[in-house]
Order: sequence, then C-alpha cells, then structure tokens
Amino acid sequence: MELFVEFLKNTGYYLADMRYVLMICVGILFCFLATAKKYEPLLLLPIGFGIIIGNIPFFRGFGLGIYEDNSVLHYLYFGVTSGLYPSIVFLGLGAMTDFSSMLARPKLMLLGAAAQMGIYFTLLSAMALGFAPKEAASVAIIGGADGPTSIFLTAKLAPHLIGPIAIAAYSYMALIPIIQPPIMRLLTSRKERLIRMPDTERPISRKELVCFPIIGVILCCFLAPASIPLLGPFFFGNFMKESRVVDRLAKTASTSVIDTATIFLGFTVGASTQADVFLTVKSLGIFLLGSVAFSIATASGIIFAKIMNIFLKEKINPLLGAAGVSAVPGSAREVHLVGLKEDPGNYLLMHAMACNASGVIGSAICAGVLWSFMMR
Amino acid sequence: MLGLEAISAHNGWAMAVTGTIIVMGGLSVLAFIISQLHKIIGLFEKKKKAPPQFIQPQGDIDILNDLEAAFRLYKPLTAALGEHFHLADLYRIFEKENLPHPHLTISALRTAEYLEPLGEGLFSWKKDQ
Repeated sequence: MELFVEFLKNTGYYLADMRYVLMICVGILFCFLATAKKYEPLLLLPIGFGIIIGNIPFFRGFGLGIYEDNSVLHYLYFGVTSGLYPSIVFLGLGAMTDFSSMLARPKLMLLGAAAQMGIYFTLLSAMALGFAPKEAASVAIIGGADGPTSIFLTAKLAPHLIGPIAIAAYSYMALIPIIQPPIMRLLTSRKERLIRMPDTERPISRKELVCFPIIGVILCCFLAPASIPLLGPFFFGNFMKESRVVDRLAKTASTSVIDTATIFLGFTVGASTQADVFLTVKSLGIFLLGSVAFSIATASGIIFAKIMNIFLKEKINPLLGAAGVSAVPGSAREVHLVGLKEDPGNYLLMHAMACNASGVIGSAICAGVLWSFMMR
Repeated sequence: MLGLEAISAHNGWAMAVTGTIIVMGGLSVLAFIISQLHKIIGLFEKKKKAPPQFIQPQGDIDILNDLEAAFRLYKPLTAALGEHFHLADLYRIFEKENLPHPHLTISALRTAEYLEPLGEGLFSWKKDQ
C-alpha cells in the first residue's frame, strides 16, 4: 500500500497545479489552431504538442525534463540553445527561396529594410520597461517576424527567454491574418490600396540568379559578420538551388533537412515552456512587446512606402510595406488578399514576395547587428 | 532603472540609430548592386564574344534601307563559302559576326535580287554589282 501511495505521489496527476493545466490548455489550443483552423500548422502543431509534453509534471531528478542534464529532451534542445536548428532551417529556406521577383524589383528591397524599424523601436521600449540590454535585444528581434532568427539571437543573448520569445514570435506569425490587415487599412487610403503595380518586369537571367547568393553573402556577412550562422546557410542553400548542378542536395535541403529541423525546433521550443519557467511576469511583458514589435514593423514598412511615393514617379502600393516583415510567405499572402479585396484585378503577390525576401535578409542582418552590439 | 533613463544608460539610442543605418545602408547597397547586376553580366558577355574578323559597318548605316551598302559590306564575309552557298550558311556567318537582323537582311537582299537563286537551294551574289 505504501508503495502504491509513493507511486501516486510521483504521478503527474498528483504533482500538477493550475499553472501546468493552463499551459496544457495553451498547447491544446495551438494544436486546435493548427489542425482545425490550419493556422501555420507546420509551426503550431509541433510547438503545441511540445507544450503539452513539456508541461506534464514529473518528479525532479529523473533526467526527464528539458532543463535536466542528460535527458533526451535536453539533448534535442541543444539544437535550439546552440543555434543549430535555426541555421539548418535557414539552409532549407535558402534552397526554397526564389529571388527572381526581388531581383526584378530591387527598389522594393528598401521596404524589407524599413520594416525592421520595429525591431529597434522595441529595443528601446524593452529597455525602458526595465529589461536588461541582452534581454531587450532578444525581445526586439520578434519584430523581425522570423521565428528561427528570434530563437537564434535569444539562444545567444538570453537563453532563459527562449521559450516565451519563440512562442511569441511564432504566435504572432500565425496571427498575421488578424494583426496585419487592420494596420494596413488604418494607414492607407482606399486610393492608395488601389494602386496597381506594373505587370511588366525585366526577365531575370539564370546568371543573375546564380550570382546573387554570392554577392548577397559577401555583402551582408562582411557588413554584419555575426549574421554568418543565418545568412551563410541561407545563401548557400539558394546557391545550391540556382546553380542547378546539385539538384539532389538542393532538394534534400529544401525538404528532408528543413523538415527535420522544423520538427525538432518546434517540438523542443514547445517543451521548453514548462509552467514554472514560462509563466512569469516577464513572459507577459515579452508577449506585449512582441505584439508592439510586430505592429510597428508592419506600420513602418507601410509608412516608408508612402514616403517613397513622394519621390517616385511610378507610385508603389503602400500595402507592400507590410510584407517587409520576414514572415514568408504569410505577410505577402495577406498583402495580396487585402489588395484583392479592394480591387479583384490587383495582383500584388509577386511584388510582396520581393519585399518578403528582402525582409528575411534584413532581419538576419539585424540579428547579427544586435548580437555584435551586445558582445561589446 | 526604467524609462528614458534606462535607454540612455544602456546606450539604447545609439544602438537603435546605428542599427537602423546599418540595415538600411546594407540593403540599399545590395538593392543598387542587384539593379546593376544584369548590366555587369552583360559587359562580361560582350567581352567574351570574339571581335569581328571581317569588315564592320563604318558609321551609322541603315542596313535594311541601304541594301547596296549591305551588299558591299557582307559579300566579303562569305568568301570562305565559295561562289555558291546555301542561305542557311550565310545566316550562320551573319549570326557569328553578330550582324544586326541577319534574317531580315538576307530576306531583303534576296527580294532585291542581290542574292540570286541558282536552284537546289543554292545562291550566289549578283555578279554585276
């Protein structure tokens, strides 16, 4: 009988408290959004299930939890804390990205840069709210709307915040259809939303596509060497794709490799949200600042597009500025849909993808810049 | 420490301004380079092509409207083909020498009878020109 009672005391049912129950509910909500609503299922499903796993209470000292040495989850989590998974994800992303729309419309790259303003605004806001500089930089990078970049920088600067920051970043990416359209409508007039982008574009030669990753990696990584772990694999993946001489490798990088990394990244990030570590006032602050960062990033892209229009003969649709955040392809799709709603013949998708692609590069540069600032 | 005091103490203003300049500057330079990339590639491609070995039109000759000039310039190019040649061989030489509008020029020369048909697909230049 005593053995039975001892056993019962070691079960999750006995050890659980409301915090764990709450987090498990969050995990179930994520799984629901992924499966029933199909909101970013590739991200929310592994994260949601990871949250459930990570919040099953257990007896400490058995080497079970993600924060306990020698546990299986701890080893898998190493890919997050070391920045390994984000680098692998970037390799796959590069192998999947088609830069031709960006190469055909280079001026739209500036919108990708402008949308990074949300990062620096949030950096200041987080500092003002009492976050330490390294924590503030990790929170600010949520404004880049790039999950792997957020995780990478946080792993380097404030590893204790990986859980809330990753969850915030991925949540806001999944909530793009809810967050971005009201900001787009608020900051643009109907006349502006009706602006049509020219359909004629310069054809991009294969040589340009092959040269771009080499030029890009040299230029960006010389500028911000701390972004090498992200932009190095990113441009390498793209070079494999565009060279067309290693199709097998490019295909593997864009399928099996990135899928494997995404599974473990999402699952372990979810599992890292143990209620006792995750449910803190700081996490609430991170979520709040994350939404501010994301909204400011969207707004700054749109406002910058409007400023560009003052000087441009051929006006650009300011909605495209919202695609400057690097949530590929969610924000581009949303810009396209908002444009279509105003004018069913206005196809903005390819133009928005140009901004999106430059947003990925911009947010990785920002991560490198912030990392090097904080290392001083 | 909170508020503006915290930002100043952690050098936040400088970080935000410098970071913004770096990202905007970096992507602007990249945008400029890729906007010129096709021109740079075009330059290399032009250099790679061998310089013409035969006579090139001097000055601005409108080949299609001045067939006499075209005839005088192009006839020496075909010396290697012999007196009788196929139009396809002529076309190949025109293309190799990067002459403008090879197809149109041959067609115009033929219509204007600078190229005389000899039968069985063979042609020769008009002799009395």
